[in-house]
Amino acid sequence: MKIIECIDVNLIKRGNTLLEHISFSINEGDIIGILGPSGAGKSSLFRALNMLHTITGGEIRFNDQNILDYKPEELRKQISYVLQKPTLFGNDVLENLYYPYQILKLKPDMLEIKKYLEKVNLPEDILKRKPAELSGGEQQRIALIRSLLLKPRILLLDEVTSALDDENSRIIENLILEERHSKNLTVMFISHNDAQAKRLAKKILYLKKGKVEFFCTVDEFFEAGDRHE
Amino acid sequence: MNDISLFLAYSLVIIAMLMSYKEKIGLEKDLFIGSIRAVIQLSAIGFVLKYVFNLDNAILTSIILVLMVFNASAVAAKRGSGIIQARKISFVSIMCGLVVTLGSLLLFNAISYKPSEVIPVSGMVVGNSMVAVGLLFKNLLGGFESKRDEIEVKLCLGAQPREAALTVIRDSIKTAMLPTVDSMKTLGIVQLPGMMTGLILAGVAPTEAIKYQIMVAFMLSGAVAITAAVASYWAYRGFFTNLAQLRDL
Repeated sequence: MKIIECIDVNLIKRGNTLLEHISFSINEGDIIGILGPSGAGKSSLFRALNMLHTITGGEIRFNDQNILDYKPEELRKQISYVLQKPTLFGNDVLENLYYPYQILKLKPDMLEIKKYLEKVNLPEDILKRKPAELSGGEQQRIALIRSLLLKPRILLLDEVTSALDDENSRIIENLILEERHSKNLTVMFISHNDAQAKRLAKKILYLKKGKVEFFCTVDEFFEAGDRHE
Repeated sequence: MNDISLFLAYSLVIIAMLMSYKEKIGLEKDLFIGSIRAVIQLSAIGFVLKYVFNLDNAILTSIILVLMVFNASAVAAKRGSGIIQARKISFVSIMCGLVVTLGSLLLFNAISYKPSEVIPVSGMVVGNSMVAVGLLFKNLLGGFESKRDEIEVKLCLGAQPREAALTVIRDSIKTAMLPTVDSMKTLGIVQLPGMMTGLILAGVAPTEAIKYQIMVAFMLSGAVAITAAVASYWAYRGFFTNLAQLRDL
């Protein structure tokens, strides 16, 4: 079932064309790697999908409905965007992990929180620590859990393993795969790591100068060798 | 006090000007203009108030109150350059604080709607509210700049603009109210406020003057809280688009 469809999407901000004639569609449960050089429009695409930017042309459809028909906060609960800069807030980590429950108007589930901490290789005592005391990698993992606790249907990940070592990157990748299998979560992730894209993605969307250069399966993309170099 | 004593008191302003000149602070011109303006404005308002008090007309009194709020909102709005509808927000919020507090005092029979009672009391309310709105605007602008990432992350997590900006809104209200709260805490210890001192100097019994001052302190805290709440919960909306996106500052 088609969950996201971009139809001839354009995005111009302050006279700069960030996205041009973007068209693609993805199915529920897909894991899509978004690749491309810096400034290609990868983060702009995520901001458009999450309605942080309003597109200037074309249409984005979620669940067969124009995203503009959704209330922004309702859309963002379903399409959760983990920004490149994790940005934790408040007095401690726990406040960050309580926040999704507060948004969903649910009672915080400590068991669920602890389960996720274990899955991303973080100790329970991290909950009492101040955000500023955490390393970049720890912050990225907390930001990821914070978004997963919203139970979104689509997860947009903007280089969420950039501050992690290989071992912890693999742990995050496994968590993403597990979420995809258990909850049929659709994932779009931005990465500059080809090996990670090969391990994780089913399809690759390659952007260059705000345009879709390739949208194909991982095998097709990497079989084509250096065409994206 | 005779006119000569008052004239001699001007020597204190001259001391300030000399100090500014010697230390190269550069405030001599402002001190000179400020002191002349104070003399002219206060003399003029003295005549106006005498006329208004004698006339004792409710409509004229109300017009003066509106003019006071209008001028105060113009000054407060200058601190909010970058805030959408800053002038309108400050006018309405200061007016709300004034109407509620003045209305309560009239309802409780604490004062009557006579210009000699309403105008001085309103002057204090409007003056304090003006400072509160100015501080609030400055804090909102700073908060939306320094906490931009945090607000955006909260939007990404499905928060409504008000929820996402709540920390900044609360900080701004607190900052706006702090001067009033602090001065209430130090009343009688550090400050002997103008109204009470004036009444005592005019021959009113100290206990009566103190009662008035206590009333003013309560009134100011109420007025500033109302003004700050109205202004912040209105002004924060201007930082977002109708699609709950942060505007560029």
